[in-house]
Amino acid sequence: MNRRMLTKAEEEAAGEEIEVRREDQDKINKFSRLHQHELSIEEELKGKNKEKEELDDITTELELAEEEDLVPYKIGDAFFHVQLPQAQEMLAVSGAKVEEQIDELEEKLGTIREEMTQLKVELYARFGRTINLET
Amino acid sequence: MSDLQVKMQSLSEDFTKLQKELQEAITSRQKLEAQMQENLGVQKEFGQLKDDETIYKLIGPVLLKQERSDAESTVNGRLEFIRKEISRLEPLIEETQTKIERKKGEIIQLQTSAQQAGAGAGGAGGGGKPKAVAA
Repeated sequence: MNRRMLTKAEEEAAGEEIEVRREDQDKINKFSRLHQHELSIEEELKGKNKEKEELDDITTELELAEEEDLVPYKIGDAFFHVQLPQAQEMLAVSGAKVEEQIDELEEKLGTIREEMTQLKVELYARFGRTINLET
Repeated sequence: MSDLQVKMQSLSEDFTKLQKELQEAITSRQKLEAQMQENLGVQKEFGQLKDDETIYKLIGPVLLKQERSDAESTVNGRLEFIRKEISRLEPLIEETQTKIERKKGEIIQLQTSAQQAGAGAGGAGGGGKPKAVAA
């Protein structure tokens, strides 16, 4: 929590109180929504990156395995014994899918952050020190 | 008067920060406890394994065969680490709680002296006004 409150002296120096118009409140609410969204996507991204890391790890491990070994591969709640090449292929497919999801999430995150920066510019321009938008 | 407000605000911020630290430490401690129980369970399972039974580790969607010695040393290592972390956190939690009590005392002291000063000077002024606040 980073509340930067004005002291009485600063408040007096700020001059006349700026009116909060409907559009200003809408912008503030939108900023808040975007921020929540940002946090949730960051969480999701963390999870996906961890998933990708695990897939990369097991892919490397399997490269050291014997060709004739059967690999127990988890599908849903069950394990299926598959041939090594098939397991490697399935891992590659999963890996590519997760990569795609990561790219999508990062793109969404970028858009949200851009919008937030724009709102910040507009709100700080109007309210200056009397508003605090630091997250 | 204004000095008092500044001091009060600074103490309040300190207090909030300490509470946050305490909460984080407590949450970490609880998480460690859960991890410890889980690893103790695994260790117990290992103890009951017959010599010819295989141990697998789940990496991503694949069950990878593990050497018994590797698996056991991994779990033992983890338990070591968890125990160390717990013994680091417990004194920290106690220390933070003490700091919080002390800070509470300082705040109460300040409030009492503010009231006494206020009774003499005819009322304390209001604090800084926060503007529209986003999440």
